[in-house]
Amino acid sequence: MDLAVETVGLTKRYSQLTAVKGLNLEVRRNSVHGFLGPNGAGKTTTIKILVGLLRADEGVVRVLGREVRWDAPETRLKVGYMPELPRFPRHLKGRELLDIYGRMYGMSEQQRREEIPRLLEVVGLKGREGDLIGKYSKGMQQRLGIAQALLGDPELVILDEPSLGLDPVSMVEVRNLMKGMAKEGRTVFLSSHLLFEVEQVCSHVTVIHRGVALASDTLQNIRGMLMGGGVVEVELAEPCEAAAESLRSLPFVSRVEQSGRILTVELKTRDDVRAHISRAITGSGGVIVAMGWKGRTLEDVFLQLVSKPVEGGA
Amino acid sequence: MAGGGWAPRFWAVVRYELLWNIRKKKLIGVLVLALLLATLALVLPVVLSNVTGLELARNPNYVVDTGIGVGGLGMFLFAVAVAMNSISGEFEGGTAVTLLTKPVSRTTIFLGKLTAALITLGSAYALLLAYMAVGGTIVYGPQENLHLLPLSLLGATLSTLMWMSIVLAVGSISKSSLLAALGSFGVFMALAVGSPIISMASDQAWILSYLPGGGATGYLAGAGGGTPYTLGAAVSTGTDGIAANLVRYALNPSLNVTFFKVANRMQVVELYSEPLSAVLARSILVASAYSAVLLAAAWYTFRRAEVLD
Repeated sequence: MDLAVETVGLTKRYSQLTAVKGLNLEVRRNSVHGFLGPNGAGKTTTIKILVGLLRADEGVVRVLGREVRWDAPETRLKVGYMPELPRFPRHLKGRELLDIYGRMYGMSEQQRREEIPRLLEVVGLKGREGDLIGKYSKGMQQRLGIAQALLGDPELVILDEPSLGLDPVSMVEVRNLMKGMAKEGRTVFLSSHLLFEVEQVCSHVTVIHRGVALASDTLQNIRGMLMGGGVVEVELAEPCEAAAESLRSLPFVSRVEQSGRILTVELKTRDDVRAHISRAITGSGGVIVAMGWKGRTLEDVFLQLVSKPVEGGA
Repeated sequence: MAGGGWAPRFWAVVRYELLWNIRKKKLIGVLVLALLLATLALVLPVVLSNVTGLELARNPNYVVDTGIGVGGLGMFLFAVAVAMNSISGEFEGGTAVTLLTKPVSRTTIFLGKLTAALITLGSAYALLLAYMAVGGTIVYGPQENLHLLPLSLLGATLSTLMWMSIVLAVGSISKSSLLAALGSFGVFMALAVGSPIISMASDQAWILSYLPGGGATGYLAGAGGGTPYTLGAAVSTGTDGIAANLVRYALNPSLNVTFFKVANRMQVVELYSEPLSAVLARSILVASAYSAVLLAAAWYTFRRAEVLD
C-alpha cells in the first residue's frame, strides 16, 4: 500500500504524561484522511512530530516514504502544514510572507509570480496582500495559513483545525478547498473537532483518544462500526403493511417496526442495502417519500468510541 | 515545483530577518538615540566655543579617532536591539511553528538570522560613520585618514558581535526576549563594574584583557617611556576597543602600550609595555573566541529546541 504517512509504535511523553502511546497510523496517498479525537487526545502532538516540531520518544515515523528524523528539511519539501491558529510575523505583509516562504521551498521568481496571486485568490485574500499581517483578522490569518500550506505544490497537506475561527461562509469555502486538493491528487491529513466537516470531506478516518488510535478505516466502515448492523428509516406516502411484511422476509433484515407512515428497519449487515429495501417496498405497493440511515452518523460512532475505556489507558 | 539549492533558502531567511530588523521599533529607537548623541557630541563644542569665545581648534583626525562614537554601552545596546528577539521572539510569538516547518534546516535558519543581524548592524554603523564624517568635517574642518573608516566599521561590528552572541545565547536557551535583554545586561554590568574591582583587588589587571568589555587601560607610546600624564592616548585592551586599536595600528604599527598601577601614596608605578599589535591581536582573538563559543551554544540549543506551544 502506498502511504503518505506511517507511524509505527509512535510514543511521546511530556514528563509524567504520555500524550501519544504506541500510535500506529496509516494515511494512504491521494486520500483525505480525518484525524479525530477529543481535546488532549494527542492529535496536535502527533502532527507536530510529523512536521518536525517535536521529537518522538519511541517509534518510527515515515512521511512520503522517508523516515522522519530530527530537522530533516528534505522531508518537508513536499509537505504543506497549517498549524492550529497559525501565527505569522506581524511586521510582514501577506504577500511578502508568501514570497519568502516560496523562496524557502526553492520556487523560482517566475513560479512565485504565478503561484502567489493564484493562492491569494483561492483563499480570498486578494486585495489585502499588501497589508501588514499585524492588521489581519483571525480569519484572514487562518486563510493565509492555508495559502502558505499550499505553497511549493505539496504532495501532502497537513491541516490542523483549518476551520477554527472562520465564519460559516469561509468554513464552506475551506471545505471546498480541501475537496479541490483531493481532486488535484494531493493527500490531505485533516485534524478537526468538526465531525460534520470530516464527514463531508474525508474518505478515511482515524479516531484517537488518550494517545491511542481507537479506529482507523474508511469513513463508510467507521460508520458501520456500531455494534450490529445499521438502521434505516423509511417514510412512506401512506401506511403499507405489505411493505413491512416484504421487508421482514429479506435475509439481511433482523427487525421491522411500523409506526404510521414510518418504517424502522434494523439490519444484520453493515453493507449499504438501501437499494434492496427500496425495491422490496415499491414491489409490494409502497410509495417511498424519504429514506435514510438512522443513528449511524460519524458523531454516533465517535461518541461511542471515545466513551469506551482505553486499554492500558489512565 | 519545489527545488533549488541551499543558497536561495539561506537568502530567504536573511530577507525574512532583515525585513523584521528594519521594522523593529527598538532598533530604530537605538539608532535615533545614537544619532542624537553623535549630534550632541558634534554640536556641544561649537556651542561652548560660541559661549566662551574660545576658537574651536581644527582636528583633522576627529572622525577616525571617534569612530562610531557610541562606546561600549552603545555597542551593547545595539546588540540587544538587533538580537534580543531574533530567536526567542519566534518561540514567544508562535511564528516558529510555521518557520521551522519549512524545508530549511535549523542551521540555515540560524546562519541566516545571524547574517541578517550583522548586515543590520553594519548598515547602522555605516550610517553613523557617514554621519560623523560629514558632521566632523563641518565642525572640525577637512578630515584625514577617512579611508580607515572601514576598519573602524569592521572593528565595531566584531566588538558588537561578541555582545550579540551573549544576547543570542541567553535568548536561545531561555526562549525569552526579556531574559535575553535582562540577562545580557546583567552580564554587561557585572563585567563593567565587577571585573575591574576584582582585578584591582587581586592586583591582576591582565585578567581584564581576557574578559568581554573595556579591558585594562594602557597608554600609547613610541620608543621611550614616561608616565600616564606624559604619554599619548589611553588604550582599552578589551574587546570594546578593537575598532579604535585597529585604526591606531593602521596609522602607526610600531606603537607600544604601557601599563601602570597606582601604588601606595598614590605613586604611579610602570608595570610593563607591549606592542599595540599584541594588544589588538589578543582582543580580536578574545572577541572571536567568546563569539564562537556563545554562538555555538545558541545554535546547539536552537537546533534541538522543541516547539511545545
